[in-house]
Order: sequence, then C-alpha cells, then structure tokens
Amino acid sequence: MKGNEAVAEGAIRAGCKGFFGYPITPSSEIAEYMARKYPKIGGIFLQAESELAAINMVYGGAATGVRVMTASSGPGISLKQEGISFIAEAELPCLIVNISRGGPGLGGIQPAQSDYFQATRGGGHGDYHIIVLAPASVQEMMDFAIDAFELADKYRIPVMIMAEGTLGQMMEPVIPRKMVTEFVDKPWATTGCRGRQPNIINTLHLTPESLEKRNIHLFSKYAEIKAKESRAETFLLDDAELVVVAFGLMARVVKKAIMEVRRKGVKAGLIRPITLWPFPEEYIKRTIKTAKIFLSVEINMGQMLEDIKLVVNGEVPVDFYGRIGVNPNPEEIAEQLLRVAEREGI
Amino acid sequence: MGNITIFAGGFGSGKTEIALNFAIDRAREVKGVVLADLDIINPYFVSRDVKTELQENGIRLIAPGGELAFGDVPNIPAEIIGLIKQENDMVIDLAGDESGALILGYLNEYITDRQNYDLYMVLNPYRPFSSDLESVMELKNMLERTSRIKFNGIISNPNLVEESNIDVIVDGHLKVLGFGKWLNLPVKYLTVEQQFYQQLFPKYGELLKGIKIYLRPDWLRGC
Repeated sequence: MKGNEAVAEGAIRAGCKGFFGYPITPSSEIAEYMARKYPKIGGIFLQAESELAAINMVYGGAATGVRVMTASSGPGISLKQEGISFIAEAELPCLIVNISRGGPGLGGIQPAQSDYFQATRGGGHGDYHIIVLAPASVQEMMDFAIDAFELADKYRIPVMIMAEGTLGQMMEPVIPRKMVTEFVDKPWATTGCRGRQPNIINTLHLTPESLEKRNIHLFSKYAEIKAKESRAETFLLDDAELVVVAFGLMARVVKKAIMEVRRKGVKAGLIRPITLWPFPEEYIKRTIKTAKIFLSVEINMGQMLEDIKLVVNGEVPVDFYGRIGVNPNPEEIAEQLLRVAEREGI
Repeated sequence: MGNITIFAGGFGSGKTEIALNFAIDRAREVKGVVLADLDIINPYFVSRDVKTELQENGIRLIAPGGELAFGDVPNIPAEIIGLIKQENDMVIDLAGDESGALILGYLNEYITDRQNYDLYMVLNPYRPFSSDLESVMELKNMLERTSRIKFNGIISNPNLVEESNIDVIVDGHLKVLGFGKWLNLPVKYLTVEQQFYQQLFPKYGELLKGIKIYLRPDWLRGC
C-alpha cells in the first residue's frame, strides 16, 4: 500500500466514520481513498469548500462522539489551526493527518519536516497541546491511525499523525490490522438529550476564574499524557557516544547510516521520537551521561533541535544537520556522522 | 512506423517502472524512442528522476521541465502532440487512476489517428482497488471512459516490493489471469524483478519480462 492509503485504511479499521477535507498534494490520496471506500462500507466522505469548513465539520462530528478525521499538508494544516484550537479546548477526540511538504508559504510539494513547531507547540491560539505521532513506515501509518484514535478517545484530545510527503507517497507491504470493535463510552457527546440533561460543547469562558480553571484542567491532562504516553524507538544506543536524534522516515535513513559508520568503528546510536508531543525527554536524559554529542537530523532548518537542547540543558553539545525538500540518502548522512565523529574525537 | 505503447492503471500499480523498462529495452532495438512522462498528479517517484539514464540510452524524455518538474499543476508538455504525429516509437507513462487517464482523453484524437498503439492496463493484484474483480472492472471502466480508448491488454505486475518472492508472483499472476478472462483482455506480459527471471522463465517463457527497478531508494531494503 501507499502510506496515504495505509493511514486511511487504518482509520477505517479504527472505526472512523467521517472524513472531512480539502485536497492538497502530497496528502490527497487519503481523501481519494475515503471517497472510494465510504460509499461501499458506510461512512461519510465530504470534500468541504475549504480547510476551515473541513476542520469545523470535524469539530461537529467529534462532538457527537463519532470517530472522525481530516487530512492535509502544511498550508492546509495552517488554515485548520483555528478549528484545532477550538477542538483542543472542547476536548474532542479526532485525527488530523499532516503529510508534510516544504514551506513557508506555498513552499513546494517536496517532502519536509518543517511543520514540527506548528505541530508540537499547539499551532493555533491559546495554551494547548495535541498529541503528535510520527510514523516511519507504511505499516506504522496504518498502526498509528488506530493508536491515534485510541489515544484521542482516552484523553479527549486531537491527535495528529505527521509524516513527510515521501512516506505518504511510497509503497511498502502492510499486514492489515483487525477492525476495532470496542470503544470507550462518551457520556459527554451530543447525541440527543432525551431522558437526560443536555450536553453542551462550547469553548467560551466569560469569567476569568472559569477560563483559568479550564486552562489548569487542560494542563493537568497534558501532564498525565507526558508521563504516560511519551514514546521513542532506540537503535544501538547502549554504548553510543554520537547520539543521533531523528524522526519519521528520516530515522530509517539514519539507521542505515549508523550501521555504515559502526563498521568504521564510530560508536553511533539513534533515538527516534515516535511521539513528537509529548517529546520523549526521558530517552534523551538517560543518554546524556554516555553521549559525547547529540546530532539532530531533520528535513528542516532545525526545529526538534530546540527540544533536544532543552532536555540536554547544556551538559553536552547538540549539533544539527538538515536539508529541505529532499530525503537525504544514507551515504550523505554517514558522511555527516563521520565528520562530527572526527571533530569530537569519537 | 513506430508503435505507441501506453501504460495506464491505478495509483502505484507499477506503470512508471514498467514504462522505463519498456522504453530502455525498445531503445536497444530502434533509434529515437520517446518516453512521455505525463504524471501530472505529483512529482514523487516519476521518470524524470532518472533523466540521465534515459539520455545515456538515447531516449528522448518528454516531461514537465524546469521548475514545473516539481509541480503538481496539470502541465502537459507542449511538444507531445507533435511527437505523436511523428513516426517514432513512443512510450507513454500516465499518472494513476482517472485523473491520469484524463490526459489520454485529451490526446485521444492524435493517438487514434496513428492507429498502431497499445493501451495496457498495469495490474498489481496486491494493491488496494486492484485485488478483486469488482474493483478491477470498475478501474477498467473508469479508465476507458475517461481516456475514450479501449484497453487491448493487461500487464501483470504482481509484487509486494521488497517482500516479493516466487509464491507471491505465481499466486498474484494467477489472480490477474482470472481478471483477464473476465475482462476479456489478454495478459501481454508478466513483469518481475530481474532476480526472479531465471527461476520463472521455464514456467512462463516469453510472457515473462524481467525489469530493473529505477525509482525505489535502495535504503528501503532492510531498515
């Protein structure tokens, strides 16, 4: 399957019943997949008049307790930020997929990871976070779609899957996941109030007390998510002196490069954040004592780099290597690793 | 007069890799082969990525050029019509699904004027929307309706990329043969990666065509 098809099929298997979106390269196959599948299996595909409309349909759909999603790429995700802020405040579960391309502005349609800040810092207005998952394979595109809906329902929070354009477009074999059949109760959902008090979902807080209380409530939830849901994958980390941090498909290229430089005696290892928010701080912390240097490899100008620096807090140097609009190949990364290793005497 | 060979099919069915291989093979026999990369959907994994190899084989590549090579605008290279009217051998690589076939609808009158052309449907039965008869029929109808040209053959391309093996190919091909029977279309070739060619040749003979994979990054193997 293509990555875009796998994330769509994963969502269907998670019980997602509504897709609201507006096409944009390199994410459009997600919408196309839903448009083809839903009429046959039951579900709503709606191409909205704009990204703003689409995200507000997600807001409405999620409020009814049904699993719903949208997908786009950088410029479209920017347009959706207002709605995402509202959904985060209203504590509604949903899936947002960002198949990233290079920016800023219209940028280009080549792969990039330059929406990292936008995804992990909230993106829209106000104090909030969403959970951000970064798959590295087509299989994970499917798996994480299911994980995303589970996390979203569990914590009543929007979850984003962010993958560089290449992962959306490339093909790999996938082992299909089973249909999800058990769902959590959603007593808060607006499902018609016969026999009970109405459930009201809105995001307006006129008194300062209630606004502050609301923010404190949201952040106690975020603290719980941080404590319980931070995920990362590690590779050859035990004796690593050069610790590379990379996410998404990029991390797989880095793995290959690490195998290459290991053959030349360079003790390199990888931390691959799977959740970009919450950032897997513990994995970095545990490595600070053995690492001589951290190297962040990203397809942007250096964004996750800041999260690594915050955790490392000056104890060891943190370096950066980035490209824009291309997935660098393992040879290019290996060359960078050797350069850093030589400079640092590793 | 040279032939026009057109590859159409679903997204990710293998059209581009097959078109590249056909063009390169043909270029070994005749001069002046033209490869038209009409993938206007998006510029991920397209023939224009292997420009140099094509040039080395004496193939003229017609593709969105310059800045537009990286665009996703419906940009059809202007020289395509002129070239269809000439006598050169031509291989046309379309984008997937009906959006890809739409261009063929536009070029229809020039191609049908030339009479000697083949429109092949590339089928990988392991792809979504190509794994059951109903979907394949739907795909065929959709592509023929949009392009206003009838298929005259199927290219069987059963694979699971890196995880392909002999069984995957044999089982998948059997499925494609079944589709062919129902669609009343002959299976013209069975395309397999070079590494499987020797082993499968005794079974399939001339139907078999070994192809080299050009566009897939080799780092996807084993990591």
